[in-house]
Amino acid sequence: MKEFGPLIHGFWYLLRGAEMTVLMAASAALPATILGVLLSLLHVFGGRLLRAAILGYLFLIRGIPLLVLLTFVYYLMPLTGIDLPPFWGVVLVISLYYAAFISEVFRAGILSLPQAQWDAARSLGMTRGLLLQIVILPQALRLAAPPYVSLCVSLVKATSLVSIVGLWELTMASREVVERTLAPFQIFIGAAAIYFFICYTLALYGRHLERRVLVGH
Amino acid sequence: MPFDPHFIARLIPALLEGAAVTVELAGLTMAICLVWGLLVALAQGVRGPLGWIAGGYIQLVRNTPLLIQLYLVYFGFSMAGFGLSGFASGLLALCAQNGGYVAEIYRGGLQSVSSRQFEAGRALGMRRWTLYTTVILPQVIARVIPPLTNQSIAIIKDTSQVAAIAVMEIMKITEVWVETSANTYDVFLGAALIYLALTSIAGLVGKLTERRLAFAQ
Repeated sequence: MKEFGPLIHGFWYLLRGAEMTVLMAASAALPATILGVLLSLLHVFGGRLLRAAILGYLFLIRGIPLLVLLTFVYYLMPLTGIDLPPFWGVVLVISLYYAAFISEVFRAGILSLPQAQWDAARSLGMTRGLLLQIVILPQALRLAAPPYVSLCVSLVKATSLVSIVGLWELTMASREVVERTLAPFQIFIGAAAIYFFICYTLALYGRHLERRVLVGH
Repeated sequence: MPFDPHFIARLIPALLEGAAVTVELAGLTMAICLVWGLLVALAQGVRGPLGWIAGGYIQLVRNTPLLIQLYLVYFGFSMAGFGLSGFASGLLALCAQNGGYVAEIYRGGLQSVSSRQFEAGRALGMRRWTLYTTVILPQVIARVIPPLTNQSIAIIKDTSQVAAIAVMEIMKITEVWVETSANTYDVFLGAALIYLALTSIAGLVGKLTERRLAFAQ
């Protein structure tokens, strides 16, 4: 057990890093979800021009690594003189990035509903707003919930990248402890265990949702 | 000064050199994961300890960030006495992480094959090996091509993270060139275009393979 001394000493520090990770992930997930739902609706119901713009956005996000965008913003901010605190800078990038993937998940949910439901609602004389509100969205959101939760897990993991551009969270905290203790194996295993705890809890919740979605069908 | 032609003429060969490393790393990762993921997926289907180990492995790698796995392999292993080069560490971590995702893709494909086909094969007196290689796996392979294509795109983007352990691929070269030239826009535009080209090619290859294997549906 003596080998794990450094981990026991540094664990409190790692937990404080984890707190920052959770805060950062939550701050990014909320706007990403709102923007994602909005984008999916515009993608399905928007005009041709709007749809082309969204497709272009999706193409860019799908093809460029998050790390490239994060470092780009890191180098860009001093150049353009935009004085945004680094925390909000990376939260902005991460939420814009995940909004694209979230929009695809919700769009798939909307499109997977059978045509008959749209026809039925329209033949009852529902307006488009009402149709969306009481027929389409409640079902689409339910269908999209499990893949949405796995995207949230991926978002939590992605926050580790901000340590590369110098922000302090769990990964950065573990690197600092490693520099002090020279015990990389133990410390990174400790950090991995904390990430696992956060992500696995989320993933279990996703699986619970999946089971509930299946019961409804 | 952005868009300086002389600068771009020197930049392009450097970025392409990085792209070669990225392609090598992503290609090797994909090739290894296609086999490793299948083995893990098949092991997970077995009742008993082997199945639990495979399932535990999948959850462990899917719920911890790639960056932590990279640090663990690169710094942790060298501390434990068997150090690996940056490239080898990157390859190992990329395969460990993506092997978990690929295994889940195969598992989804295996589950989509009706259990009646297993029973019919057994009723005809087929050996397990014949049943899998001639009946089950051809169908599974055709069905997993679209998610595997997405995974290969994710792998190409993931390779950018090995920049953190100083492997000279696109991301690292981008960083070096931005630091030394301060020509931020050109360098990032170049890097983004190369990533977009690589991921588009991967998407196209996936589409073509999908069309090729459409017979099995």
